[in-house]
Amino acid sequence: MRYCIRHVTRYSGGKPVSVGHNQAWLRPRDLPWQMCLEHQLDIDPPPSLWVDRVDYFGNWMTTFTFDAGYDALTVTARNLVEVQPREWPSAESTSPWEEVCRLVRQPTTDAALDAAQFAYDSPRAGALPAAEDYVRASFPPGRPILAAVLELTGRLFTDFKYHPQSTTVSTPIDEVFSNRAGVCQDFAHLEIAMLRTLGLPARYVSGYLRTIPPPGQPRLVGVDASHAWLSVYCGEVGWVDVDPTNNLVAGEDHIIVAWGRDYDDVPPLKGVFIGGEAHTLTVEVDVEPLEPNGQLPVPAGDG
Amino acid sequence: MSRVAAATHWFTLDYGAPPEVYDELAAGPGQLRPQWEEFREACRHLSAAEFERRSRQADKLLYENGVTFDVFSEGGERQRPWKLDLIPLILSATEWSQLEATLSQRARLLNALIDDLYGPQRSLREGWLPPEVVYAHPGFRRAFHGLPRGSEPSLLLYGAELARSPNGQWWVMADRAENPAGPGYALENRIIASRMLPQVMHRVGVQRLAPFFIRLQNALRRRAPRKTDTHRIVLLSMGPRHNLFFEDVYLARYLGYMLVEGSDLAVRGDRVFLKTLSDLVPVDVIFSRGAEGGIDPLELGGCAPHGVSGLLQIIRAGNVAVANLPGCGLVESPVFMAFLPSLCRHFLGEELLTPSIATWWCGQEPAKQEVFARFDDLVIKPAFQASGGEELLPRELSTEARAELRARIEARPYNYVAQELVARSAAPVWGENGLQAGHMAYRCFLVSDGSGYSLMPGALIRVAPDLQPMQLSIAGGAGSKDLWVRAEGPVTPVSLLTPEDQPVQLVRTGAMFPSRVADDLYWLGHSLDRSDFLTRLSRSVIERMASETDEDFPELRPLIRAMADQGQIAPDFAVEALQEPLPAIEEHLPRSLFDDSEPLGLARAMSELQRLAARTRDWLSPETWRKLHESAVDFFASRVTQWDDLADVLAILNELQFNLASVSGLIHNGMVRGPAWRFLDMGRRIERGRNIGRLISSMMLDRQPPIRPVLKAVIEVLDVRMTYRARYLDNLQPNAVFDLAITDETNPNSIGFQVAALSEHVDQLPHESRTPLRTEEKRLIMSAVHTVRMLTPEDLANPRRQRLRRALRLLERKLGDLSAALQRNYLVRVGGPRQLLESREGRP
Repeated sequence: MRYCIRHVTRYSGGKPVSVGHNQAWLRPRDLPWQMCLEHQLDIDPPPSLWVDRVDYFGNWMTTFTFDAGYDALTVTARNLVEVQPREWPSAESTSPWEEVCRLVRQPTTDAALDAAQFAYDSPRAGALPAAEDYVRASFPPGRPILAAVLELTGRLFTDFKYHPQSTTVSTPIDEVFSNRAGVCQDFAHLEIAMLRTLGLPARYVSGYLRTIPPPGQPRLVGVDASHAWLSVYCGEVGWVDVDPTNNLVAGEDHIIVAWGRDYDDVPPLKGVFIGGEAHTLTVEVDVEPLEPNGQLPVPAGDG
Repeated sequence: MSRVAAATHWFTLDYGAPPEVYDELAAGPGQLRPQWEEFREACRHLSAAEFERRSRQADKLLYENGVTFDVFSEGGERQRPWKLDLIPLILSATEWSQLEATLSQRARLLNALIDDLYGPQRSLREGWLPPEVVYAHPGFRRAFHGLPRGSEPSLLLYGAELARSPNGQWWVMADRAENPAGPGYALENRIIASRMLPQVMHRVGVQRLAPFFIRLQNALRRRAPRKTDTHRIVLLSMGPRHNLFFEDVYLARYLGYMLVEGSDLAVRGDRVFLKTLSDLVPVDVIFSRGAEGGIDPLELGGCAPHGVSGLLQIIRAGNVAVANLPGCGLVESPVFMAFLPSLCRHFLGEELLTPSIATWWCGQEPAKQEVFARFDDLVIKPAFQASGGEELLPRELSTEARAELRARIEARPYNYVAQELVARSAAPVWGENGLQAGHMAYRCFLVSDGSGYSLMPGALIRVAPDLQPMQLSIAGGAGSKDLWVRAEGPVTPVSLLTPEDQPVQLVRTGAMFPSRVADDLYWLGHSLDRSDFLTRLSRSVIERMASETDEDFPELRPLIRAMADQGQIAPDFAVEALQEPLPAIEEHLPRSLFDDSEPLGLARAMSELQRLAARTRDWLSPETWRKLHESAVDFFASRVTQWDDLADVLAILNELQFNLASVSGLIHNGMVRGPAWRFLDMGRRIERGRNIGRLISSMMLDRQPPIRPVLKAVIEVLDVRMTYRARYLDNLQPNAVFDLAITDETNPNSIGFQVAALSEHVDQLPHESRTPLRTEEKRLIMSAVHTVRMLTPEDLANPRRQRLRRALRLLERKLGDLSAALQRNYLVRVGGPRQLLESREGRP
């Protein structure tokens, strides 16, 4: 499946900023099942310095600065991405979860060593002792790891309410856990923290989800948001992406931009500014699936 | 000297060293270690009384130099003076060069480890280190991974915290690799010791410290990315709120680097610049003294005072060098100590020469079992924090606390290490009753020197009074000592100055004058004059209130109104009808003078003065700083003592005024007429001009003509009584007082004098000549000068004084506008960096 993705971030309305430094993670990773065919980043006003590089986790990352400041800032990322279906192992055939814990403690392969760094506390997703009983209910001794993870993901989906007003970008996960409500970012952090409580490696994935409009209704442009889920290291079979917000194993509908230990490693856009005052932030995301011939589908309705 | 006298001399081997520890002085009963012989001989010429006298003198010098940890903390409550024991610790050159060999190996090893963990991570791939040690470590910052590592080691300055066990063996208790604190204190100790005991030191033959600092300068210079002769090196400090600020100031001065905070530096394009008054000046090397986790708010978050947004990207681009390279702090945590012997074999192919204190990392099951088996003999520490924070001695815990600690370790074993306890060596310490025993903690410093590391021939020695485990930060211990390493041959004098016969390019001002310093000096001048004016005004009020006679003072009410107009007291005090519900002014005024929560009051001005003096210490003469510092300390000390009546308050104010006058004198005599002085003086002149204008308005611009006592009070507050009497004897007339206070430009306490001085300052301000017309500041001050000079004798004498009133209003406004323009155009305080709002990934 091919997608045309447009992600616009706007800061406007405050007093002019005199200096600004920013970092953006807005270019999707290239992976065996995913290729970013075209990537275009437009920054308005044009920054005085622009550096693209690959970060510690292998993500594309752009640093840009404004020596002369700006009145308003608009960052637009346009990506053409192709995503292939992925095959997931059968859940019951995966290793017992304790074995994965042992493997990352004493890694014997580069893949396991790489996974090891996701097994420990990070600023936004540290072990959550309060949730230990909750998580252990899905992790009886010897249970195949993926089976346990899928069950936990399903329970989170059932027990937690999606509620944008219940949390902010800085709500800690223990509050999300006790309130039983949050947004995709919170659920991803919470499940990561739960798995780390057991010593299992899990990483935060930032990306997009294909919008599927209700039957008979047109796809609306620009109403989407970026999405977040997690990826769990399941031993020899590797990483499996699960989406607790939708109770899904990520597939062709999930477009991966970047991964890290938690949101702080890979926010779509962050920055510091000097002078001026806080601007209001608006974000528009538009994930448009293309027909196999590369054409945009004919919009339904009166488009 | 007779044998009897020698035997009873105060410097004796029987100073009470506990038998179970290593004695630094004696090798056995009555057996002095050879390196001490000369010292003992030299001490024969010093009586105990003389030694005591010199000790006190050393204390005084340290106090006067402001050597403390926390002297700059606000409120001044936490001040802790630095203490130096004049009896040194002496080691032989041989012993020291052996130590140098072993510690440089350790520095090379740590450097290799840092480069590996923030680079290829071979140690993890090959299994030399368990991955947890790094991946569970909160100090392992991914942003530091892959920073360029050139030919110079990442670890430029390394500190080793040492102890000697009972057999004399050296043990490393902790590694300091982030930005080791203490070399400045060691230097200060040496300077005091050499001043107090010059002959003794000469006789012993002590290796100098200067070559070490020259190596440090060279090492920093070698790092400069631009290969030119004019490298700009700055010392980046965490600022006056940090408890090691004294050392930052001291080192910056000694090494000849500009002391900067994060807000003084700016990343523009692909370089780092120093923001100066007129320009942005590129910076080549940053000697960083702050915590590495705060060095770049963009990539690491936070808003630390030493943070420079975007700095890491410039390091990556290779356009600035930072030492120590961010990331070095990682290896300070004790968890690495458990692995150093094997890492040394892997990285260097050598055996580790200086053992670390025995360390067990509980993340490994056998180690954890051993820790539990020997629980009572060990100290438990967090594995991932630099030693010096939380340390627990299981043997001193209650049964419940021990069980709780065990449970914590079981839950997260990899978060803990256990270390053996060391009984530190003993050496004599000069105490109240002569010699007594103290226990020695050594902090040694090494600097990268081409292929290896050089050890400072000296150290910061901290003394613990007993054998309890000692806090490993440099604030630990009851005092400090100088370490003397004996020279093998004659000592050649070395200095950090360039050779005497090398002429330099002559200049009139320092090229680099940071805007932040201009700002601080401007407000220092402002606070200085405000304190001075409020002191004089309050004194005039309180003198009259405290009068023993039953005299009536008709000028008291206008004076109180002047205080209210200044904001020192509530405006209601100035209105008779509203006074009823208020406390008596006699009680309220003294309290308000000492209350620093009054935003416009004297105490606030004094605490600002103290704060700003600390920030600008580098730009003031030592005497000026000392006097400023003492004035504030004395003022706040007198505040806490009880005063019985107004006479006590008066005495405090008199003392303060005298002190502030000395400060003014020192500034006047000692400060070069460069930009630093100009900004300080502009702050003073603007504040004084406005205060004089306000005083006249408050006291004399009523409709009715001023009576003589009021005129007298005005010339008293303005401190021009003598001049007035010399000119007019006792004939007090309003026009003569107005002339003296407003138009007479020869009187340093007139408005005319202030605006004329300001006009000259403004002429000297650097500015870009974008327009042939006059600058905003120039126009404002010209208008103020014009306003004063256009007043006629009739304006001054006119009993209705409407033109005078208008002129004073205009002056008040112009001076206010000038202050605002100066701040806007020269002293831009845009504030620190702030984080942008973050978007939330919020899709269902």
